[in-house]
Amino acid sequence: MTAAADRVILVTGGGRGIGRAIALAFSSPGHAVAVNYRNDHDAASETVEQIRRHGAAAESFQADVADLEQVRTMIDAVVSRFGRIDVLVNNAGGNRDGFLAMMSLDDWNSVIDVNLKGVFHCCKAVVRLMMAERRGTIVNVSSLSGITGLPGQTNYAAAKGGVNAFTRALAQELAPFGIRVNAVAPGLVESDAASAMPKDHRDRLLANIPLRRLGKPEEVASIVRFLASDDASYITGEIIKVTGGI
Amino acid sequence: MDEMKRKIREILSVRLKLAAAVEKICDDTPLFGPDSLGLDSIDALELVLGLQKEFGVVIEDRTVAVKVLASIDTIAEYVESQGKG
Repeated sequence: MTAAADRVILVTGGGRGIGRAIALAFSSPGHAVAVNYRNDHDAASETVEQIRRHGAAAESFQADVADLEQVRTMIDAVVSRFGRIDVLVNNAGGNRDGFLAMMSLDDWNSVIDVNLKGVFHCCKAVVRLMMAERRGTIVNVSSLSGITGLPGQTNYAAAKGGVNAFTRALAQELAPFGIRVNAVAPGLVESDAASAMPKDHRDRLLANIPLRRLGKPEEVASIVRFLASDDASYITGEIIKVTGGI
Repeated sequence: MDEMKRKIREILSVRLKLAAAVEKICDDTPLFGPDSLGLDSIDALELVLGLQKEFGVVIEDRTVAVKVLASIDTIAEYVESQGKG
């Protein structure tokens, strides 16, 4: 049994992409990182292995954030394993893009469930622990889409816009308890989703990015790590765009 | 059926502004993807709206749209199967 961690971080959707980069950003010695995943156990295991190689403790925890009971069970398991949760990073999310005229109710519901209700579920499940300890911080991974809206993403934009408003409201609720709540809003970032995008669509988007390139997952992760750190001790209720200038 | 296909071509020509390209394709030429007419998702929506206005067929499900909008032939078959046209 290793010594108790200085800081315990839970990253939802930590197996791949931005979530993995965020989990790795917290992988310094003394930290314990709980890596949540829904389906891809192998990816989560790989993230855990990489974190351990950097000297932090790590373990993967399966749960669908869209399901409150699964989230509660996961939080209990994380606390049982690492003793507490100091940092919650709500990263789990997903798209089902399509024009509203062609969007099924299932496309709408599933995107709202994972992106917006998932954030509610995870915050709901950890917030009492943090309030009781008078410490903790939450960082939500939102999206530029939730600020500007993007065609084909009414469901995703509504969910992420909801996350932004949720972040601001919860920050005010939890400020008296010394708990900070912030969000990052990435633009177009190198990821599985970006790779799957048709080239012409991707080129059109690139032309609108002042820095003329996609972001790297690590460039989002570093802002998440900053917001979760004491360096950001006077920042709460903030949505920081990480968009290459959009 | 021929009259229906003529109307479908008219939708592609007029609503999607593809008159020159449409003249060159066959009824079984793919409308999307490689070696196709080269339609994109916005064209697909325009086509769905055109079919709704012309024939009264409502396509709301994306998986149905992918199958139905494959070619002029598949569109015509679908419109007929819905008792329209």
